[in-house]
Amino acid sequence: MTGTIIKTVDLRKTYMQGKIPVEALRGVNLEVGEGEFLSVLGPSGSGKSTLLNLIGALDKPTGGRLFIENIDVSALNENQLADLRMRIGFVFQFFNLIPRFTARENVELPMSIAGLSKGERRKRAEELLQMVGLASRMNHKPTELSGGEQQRVAIARALANNPRFLLMDEPTGNIDSKNAYEIIRLVKRLNEDKGVTIIMVTHDQRLAEEAKRIVYMLDGTIVMEKVR
Amino acid sequence: MRIIDMFSYAFSAIRLRKLRAGLTTLGVVIGIAAIVALLSITQGLQVAISSQLQRGFATDTLIVTAGGGLGGVNEFNLLVKDAQTIKEIGNVTASIAVIQRICYIRMPYGQTRRVTVTGVDFAAYKEIYSSTFVAEEGEIPLNPEDDFIIVGKQVSDPWSNGTILCRTGDALEILWTNTTTRPLRNETYLGRVVAVLREIGGFTIGGPSDNRIYIPISKAQSFFGTETCEMIIVKLRNDDRATIDSAAKAIREALGGRVAVTSSTAVLNIISSVFSTIELFLAGIAAISLLVAGIGIMNIMIVSVMERTREIGILKALGMKNRQVLLIFLCEAAIIGLLGTLIGIGAGWSLAQIVLRIFGSSGGAGIMRQGNQAAVSNGITITPVLTPTVILGAIVFGLMVTMVFALYPAWKASKLKPVEALRYE
Repeated sequence: MTGTIIKTVDLRKTYMQGKIPVEALRGVNLEVGEGEFLSVLGPSGSGKSTLLNLIGALDKPTGGRLFIENIDVSALNENQLADLRMRIGFVFQFFNLIPRFTARENVELPMSIAGLSKGERRKRAEELLQMVGLASRMNHKPTELSGGEQQRVAIARALANNPRFLLMDEPTGNIDSKNAYEIIRLVKRLNEDKGVTIIMVTHDQRLAEEAKRIVYMLDGTIVMEKVR
Repeated sequence: MRIIDMFSYAFSAIRLRKLRAGLTTLGVVIGIAAIVALLSITQGLQVAISSQLQRGFATDTLIVTAGGGLGGVNEFNLLVKDAQTIKEIGNVTASIAVIQRICYIRMPYGQTRRVTVTGVDFAAYKEIYSSTFVAEEGEIPLNPEDDFIIVGKQVSDPWSNGTILCRTGDALEILWTNTTTRPLRNETYLGRVVAVLREIGGFTIGGPSDNRIYIPISKAQSFFGTETCEMIIVKLRNDDRATIDSAAKAIREALGGRVAVTSSTAVLNIISSVFSTIELFLAGIAAISLLVAGIGIMNIMIVSVMERTREIGILKALGMKNRQVLLIFLCEAAIIGLLGTLIGIGAGWSLAQIVLRIFGSSGGAGIMRQGNQAAVSNGITITPVLTPTVILGAIVFGLMVTMVFALYPAWKASKLKPVEALRYE
C-alpha cells in the first residue's frame, strides 16, 4: 500500500424516510490505499451502498469527515463535487448506460463532459472498449448487448477519464454467473495489471472473496475486516 | 463540455422523440407565422397606402377649412376672396379657393352620375398639383371659358375597361339642387369637356381625384350662387417644418383664428401612426399565440425532465456540473425554438402572399372605395413587406419565448440530486 486515497473518519449519514430518521451509517472509519482491491460485504440495508455513494460524492454525509486524496469532501461546493466525480469511476448494478447512445458514444460521454475533442474521445473510447473485449460491439446500442457486455461498456466508461479509483455497486448483481465471472476477471486484471484502485460493494460472499481485502458491514458500521 | 457537444447531446435527445418535438415546434411555428404574416400584411398595406397618399398629396401644401378649434357649430364662412388674403402671407407662393358640391351629371348617352363638382382656378391648381392635374386627353386651359369642364379618369371610364361615357368635346349637363331656397330649385347648365385627366389613383385631400369633375372657380361661384368656399389650398415655398408651422400660424391669425389649417405632412403622420397602432395591436394578438406555444414547451419539458431523471443522474455521476445540465436543456429548447422560428417565418411569409393574392388587389381597396367616395379612386395593389427588422425580431422573440419557458424545467433538472436521480425508476 503506497498512499491513502480515501479516508473516512466517523462517517455518518442519516436520511429521512417520511418523518422517520434512518441512520444508514453510524460512524464508519475506513482507509483505502492506492492500488487496493477492497470488497464491502454486507446484507441489504447494512449501509454499504450509502457508503459507496458518499465516497463517490453522489451524496453528502450528515456527520464525520471524508477525505479523498487528503481533500475534505464535505467542504466542497456543487461545482467542485462535480469535478471530483469526474475523476471517480462509477459502475452500477443496472449499468446506467444512455440507451440512445452506442457503446462507443456511452464511453465517450464522460470525456465529452470533460471537454475532450471528438478525435481524442473516439480514440480513447475505442482503446477502452478493446481492452474490455468489446472491439466488435462498439456501434451497438445497450439494448443490443447482453448484460455482461453492457457492464463491460459501463466499466470502460468508468475508466474513460483516468479515474483515481473505481466504485462498483453490485457490479454482477444483474448478470448471470458465467458473465459475472468474466466481469470479475476483468476487474481483477484492471487492479493487478493497471493498478486501478477498486472498491466493490456486494452481498455475495463468493464474489467478495475475490478481493484482497474484505470489509464486513452491518447496521451502518464496519463489524469486521479480513485481509487475504 | 464544449458547446458543440452540448448541442449534439441535446439534438440526440430531441431526435429520440420526434413526434413530441415536432408538435412542440409546431406551436412555435404557428405563433411566429401569425406574427410574421400579420406584420408583413399590415406593413404591405401601409407601404401601399402611403405611396398612394404621397402621390395625391403635396407635402408643401396646407389646406385651410372653416372651423377653428374645437366645437361643432361654426358660423364662420370661408370666402373665395380669403384666398387673396392668404396669398399675401410670407412663404405662400399660391393660394386657391375650392368650391365643391355634389351634383348629378348627364352624360352624352343619357346616363346620369352623382359626382363632386369642384370649382378651382385651373391654372393655379395645375401649378400646385403639377404631377397629378395632368390631361390625358385634351388640354388643361389656363384661361378657361365659363362652360369648360375637366373630368377625372373614372368619370370618363368608370369601369376601367374602355367603356367611355364621355370624352373631350362632349357636352355634359350639370344638375344641382339648391337647398337654400324654398321651394328647392334645380339649377342646370350645359358644359363642354375640354380635358380628361390622366389616371391618378390613390387618396387625396384637396388634390385632384379620378372621380370628380372640375369647373372654373368663377363659374362655380355664379352657378352655385355663393361667395363661400369649402377650402383654400395653400402652396408654400418649401416643406420645412418651420415654414409649415409659421405659415399655418399666420393664416390662422389673418382669418381671425376661425379656420383650421391642415398640413398634408401632418395627415400623413397621423395615418402612419394609426397604422403603427394597428400593427402593434395585431402583433400583440399574434404574440399571445406564441406565449401559448411557450407554455406548451414548458409543459413538455417538465414531463421530459421527469422522464429523464435517471439520465440526469447518470450525467451528474459522470461529473456534469449543474450549469451544464441547465445548458443542455436550454440547448434543446433553443434548437426547437430556432427551428420553429425559421419555419414560422417562411410559413408566415407564404401565408401573407396567399392572403394578399386572394384579397389584396381588389378587396381591401374596394371596401375603402365604398367608404369614402371622395377620397379614394382606383384599387390599390398590396404586396406583403417583410423587413429585416421583422425577421430579426421574430428570431429574437421566438428564441426568447422558448428559452424563458424552458428556463424553469431546465433549472429543475439542474437541481436534481445525483443519488435521488439515479434511484428514480
